[in-house]
This record gives sequence, C-alpha cells and structure tokens, in this order.
Amino acid sequence: MEAAVWVIILPLLTAFFLGISKLYFKRIFFYLVTGSAIIYLYILIIVITHSYPPKVYSIGDWGLLGINVMVDPFSGLFLLMIAILFLPFIIFSMKYNKFLKHDYFIFAYLMVAGISGMVLTTDLFNLYVFMEVSTLSSCALSLYKKTDRGIEGTFKYLIMSTLGSFFILLATILTYYLTGTLNMAEIPLAFEDIPFKIKSTMMTLFVFGYAIKIGLIPLHAWLPDAYEDSPIPYNVLSSGLVLKSAVYALIRVLYIMFGIDFLDESGMLTIGVFWGVITFLIAHCLAFQQSNLNRLLAYSSIAQIAYIMIGLFVGTEAGLIAGSFHILNHAIMKGTLFLVVGIFSYSLNAVEKKDIKGLGYKFPILSFTFVVASLAIVGLPPFNGFMSKWLIVEAALEAGFVYAAFFILVGTFLSLTYYLKVIVTLYTKNEEELLIEEPSLSLKLPTFFLGSLCIVFGMVPSLPLNLITKIPTFLLDNGDYIRILLGG
Amino acid sequence: MSRLNEVFKKLYKIGLVVTFAYFLLFLFYDIHNLDNNRKRYLSAHYISEGVQETGAINLVASVLYDYRAFDTLGEATMILTAATVLAFLVPISKATTFGTTFKSIVKQTVKLILPYLAVLGTYLILFGHVSPGGGFVGGVVLSIIAILLTITYSVEFSEYIVKPDQKKLVEDIGAIGFVLLGLLGVFTGSNFLANGQAYFGTGNAGEVFSAGLIPFINVMIGLKVGAGLAIIFNSLIKEK
Repeated sequence: MEAAVWVIILPLLTAFFLGISKLYFKRIFFYLVTGSAIIYLYILIIVITHSYPPKVYSIGDWGLLGINVMVDPFSGLFLLMIAILFLPFIIFSMKYNKFLKHDYFIFAYLMVAGISGMVLTTDLFNLYVFMEVSTLSSCALSLYKKTDRGIEGTFKYLIMSTLGSFFILLATILTYYLTGTLNMAEIPLAFEDIPFKIKSTMMTLFVFGYAIKIGLIPLHAWLPDAYEDSPIPYNVLSSGLVLKSAVYALIRVLYIMFGIDFLDESGMLTIGVFWGVITFLIAHCLAFQQSNLNRLLAYSSIAQIAYIMIGLFVGTEAGLIAGSFHILNHAIMKGTLFLVVGIFSYSLNAVEKKDIKGLGYKFPILSFTFVVASLAIVGLPPFNGFMSKWLIVEAALEAGFVYAAFFILVGTFLSLTYYLKVIVTLYTKNEEELLIEEPSLSLKLPTFFLGSLCIVFGMVPSLPLNLITKIPTFLLDNGDYIRILLGG
Repeated sequence: MSRLNEVFKKLYKIGLVVTFAYFLLFLFYDIHNLDNNRKRYLSAHYISEGVQETGAINLVASVLYDYRAFDTLGEATMILTAATVLAFLVPISKATTFGTTFKSIVKQTVKLILPYLAVLGTYLILFGHVSPGGGFVGGVVLSIIAILLTITYSVEFSEYIVKPDQKKLVEDIGAIGFVLLGLLGVFTGSNFLANGQAYFGTGNAGEVFSAGLIPFINVMIGLKVGAGLAIIFNSLIKEK
C-alpha cells in the first residue's frame, strides 16, 4: 500500500516546493498548486477504494519497532472528506485571495499533510507530532488577514490549543512510561494489567486535551473568535477537517486503546453523551444571538460536533455509523454555507447579518444554495443532514439515551430559528443600490458542487454509507484492528 | 470587602495549586509503585540491537533518523512552519537599529569565534552518527553564526551576509532533501525511509562512512534547522 504514504508526502513536498517557487519561480506557482491538488485527489481515491480490508504500511520496514501507517474505513472516511473539500478549497481561494498567495497555500498544504498524517498513523507520538503540524499551520491560516481582531482570535486559539497539546503530550508520555510502547495495537494488550484508577486518569487527560481542540462547551471560547476575521475558505477546512481530526484522534484513542468495555465501565459513554447534549443546547442559544455570520456558523459548528459526539459515544454499531455519517455531512453542509458567505464577503464585503439584506434577489442561485445547505444543517428532509441526524436519534433511542434523542429534536427547532432569521433577511426586499463585484465562475463552481452534494447524499445516502457501514467492524471491537496491525 | 475579596482570590489560587499537586502526587505514587520493568522490550531492543541494525554508534541518531525517522520529518516540518509563520507575520521593513552598541573588542572577538563555530557545527552534523551530536544540535550551532552577527553588528549586516531568501532556500532544500532521501528507499523497492533494509549498506559501525542514509539525513536536518532558527531569530528581532 505505497499510496498511503504518498498521501502524507505529496502535500509536504508541494509545500516545500512552493517555498522555493515563491523566491525564484513565481510563474510555475499556479501549475504547481493545481497540478498537485489534482494528483493528490487521484492518490486519495486509490487509497480510499483500497481501505477495506485495512492495510498496513510499515515506514522504514521496521514493523513493530518503528512507525506504521494504516488505512481502515474510519481513516478512509476522513480521506474522503479531504478529497471532497480540498480541490474546491484550492479553486475557491485562488480567486478569493487577491494578493500574497504563496504563504497561504504553503500553510494549506502543510495543514492537509498534518491531517492526513493524523488519520493514517497508528503511533501515539506520531499522532501528536502531526497534530501539532496541522494546528500550527491552522493558526497561521487563521491570522492570514493580519487584522487586529484576527490576531487576537488566533492568539486565543494558539494558547488554548497549546494547553490541549500539553495534556495530550502528558498522557502520551504516561502511556509510554506504563506500557513501554507507542504502537496502538500493543498498548491495549499492555493495558490489561494496569489498575483502573491510573487508566481512568490517563483517559481523563486525553479527553480533556482533545475536548479543548474540538471546542466543546465550556472550552469553546477560542473557536468563534478565531473564525471571525480569518479568510473564509480557511473556515471551510477548519470546521470540516481540523476540528474533525481532533474528533478522530479522540475516538481512535478511546475505542482502540481503552476499548469499549472500559469506556462503558468507567462511565465515559454516559459522560460523552451528556456533554454533547449540554454543548449543543448552549451553542444553539449562543448562535441565536450572533449578528456576524462567521460567528453564527462557528457556534453552529460547535453544536453540530456535539451531535457527532453523541453519535459516536452511544457506543453501539448504529451510533458509530450515524456519527461518522454526520461527520461527512457536516463537512459538506458547513463548507457550502461558508463558501456562500465567502462569496458575499468577496463581492460586497458583507459578513454581518444586516449586510446581506435583499441579496436573495441579486444572487438567486447562490441564495438558493445557502437555503438548501441551511435546511440540511437544521435537519429537514430530503437533505443529507436529515439522514444522519435521524440515524443519531435512532441510535440514541436504541442505546437507551432517551433524553439525548428528545433534546436533539429540541435542538433542531432552536437551530431552525436562527437559520430562518438569516434566510428571512436574505429574502427581504432592499431598495438600496449596492456596489457589487460579480463573482466569477471559479468562486461559484466549488459552492455549487458542495451544495449539490447536500442533495445527492440526502437522496442517495447509500453512496457514502457503503464505506461508512464498515467502520464499526474495526472500531467497536478493537480485536480486529489489533490483529491486523500486529500482522496476523 | 474588597480586601476580603483579594484574600479569597489568593487563597483560591493557592488551593488550586495544592489540589493539583495532591492529585499529581497520588497519581505518580501509584504509577511509581507499579511493576512495569518487564515491559521494556522496545527500548531493550533499541539498546541491544540498534548498532547492528542501523550501523550508527550514536543510539539517539539511530532512533531519531532510522527507527522513528517519520517523527523527525514531522518535527522538522514544525520548525519550518514556525519559521514561515514568523517571516510572514513580521512585515518587510527597515528594522530599528539594535539598542546597545558594542566596543570594538566584542566585535573583534566575535569575528574570531565565527570560523570555529562553523567548524564545530559542521563537525557535529557530519559526525552525528558516530559521536554525540546530530542534525538538530549542529543546526543550532550553525544558526548561532547568524544570530551573533545580528546581535553584535545589526540585522541589516546579518542579512547582507546571508540574505533572507538564501536562508529560506536552504531551509526548503533541507526539507525536500529529507523527503527525497526517504523516497530513495521506495525507488529501490523497499519502504519509505528504509535504510538498512533497502541495501544501502550500514557499513562498519564506527567509521565515518557508515550507517547508510543517516549521515545524509543529518546533513539535511542540519541545513533545515540552522536556516530555520536563523530566520526565526531575525524575524523576532525585527519586530518593533
């Protein structure tokens, strides 16, 4: 499975070559960025189609002595998200950033390299290293406009994510100290004779560290500030991939290293579901108050990730499928919403809710896309958000979390209120003359692509579910995962 | 009332620290008493077999650049990212002249030291696999040349001797070189970053030309770290 390692190397190489091209060969910049993105898409498709049954690639041919890379359906889902989001992101930001493009794309490629490293690696410390790569370049992208508010938000982001990294590193060090290995297949075997108290302390450190990176309430305050004045295409990747990669790492660590039995025994599943419910209720209420569209979408991201947490933490097969499906759907829906807001801010510098008054008549198709995506994220049929939300409710009921299922319905109504407010503003008649810069096709095309996926995945959910239904096989019971990784 | 409030705040902070210390004490007490000496097969293997398998006498180098070279790639990428962020954040403008001016004795001494620093840094990099040292350490020593120039003379002079573009180029060449050296393993039919397994010949441990790819990777890391740290320092000192 040589292609798996190319998924990590290619963006790294592209970023380094972009650094040279910035100094000496400015002309090849465009071909380098788009060409590499297209080749990357091809490699990703190869890897995703071979993700079942899982394959292991040993870096340096060291086997268990070194670092291994593994492609299984859960990481395949994340590679699918990169494949869907990355090329539209590249095309969109080519036009959106009017100057200073090189550094932007260097950071973007480094970020994608970090995320793909995170989802592919099976080594605990390697996971930490790639997480730092993606976090640092994500911070760099978020201050890209160099405005005061952007720098302030990024500073909060940097401090909070460093705090999270500190806890994760502490837990990683303790794991190595206790088990003498960092391989994710050997850790659960060595964990068996470690007392319950120490194990649960380590789990707490992991959960706290990743919860900061995910942005669960009350550790969420950096997220809306970091989104407020950052380049909007970056927000697409951030809410779609960076936050989700932390979710991935958390789930991977909890389900593979600690195992479902320990999670059940220590009550982590109940805590996770309860935390998710609290998070989305508060986040919906906070989103209701926002006047800035970026902040509104950021709070909505927090709420949606709380749904994902509920799905992944009910601890059944149906829950894992539902949560994973919502990961994919949220990336697409939130991507569409952010791209539409990005076009509004590009054309007439509108990011406040009052600025978009009457734009529904100026940009009919774009506004329609916005309506589709926002109805999807609220969870109305026949769009994709409805499908995954329905599956989450069903899984929660099945596992006995009746209060979670009930509050998800309440949350749906809460989110309907603030998205309806935006939609109503969009279609209110406005007599003012607006100075509009017509958005070009390279801005509209990625938006329509993601928007149409909202409908396609809602009508034909079996397309992604083919991949997603295989996820619980290697996640719910860590025995299979360990066997494959140990080379059995 | 406000005094009471302040006292309460102080007590609260002290209480937090004490609680945290108490918690850590309990945790580490338990961990320390755990019998986990038999679970050291990985480090035992590195120590007993490392020299034969990688050909590097310096075990740190054999772990950093062979067993866990992929981690090193990520760490080096992090330095590059940090350098790029800082160079991007600080605007390209004339720097303010550095505060203190030194007597000529300082300048003459620094001029005298610089060649020795260059030799030391190069030695640490090239002999990283047979003696203590390596790419990271040697790179730091090399970057001190640029830093000393900046401190004793000025940013302008330092950037006149080594241009920022050249530093950036060296850094990128180091990064690309590392990945390409890793790909050599793929081209010879083995895995990424393979060394002894890809028939590069680990040679006789202890000789300068041994340990396969490790010396070359050391050179690349040295270039990258040296240039990266110099960029970071010069960018930070340019900030007003």
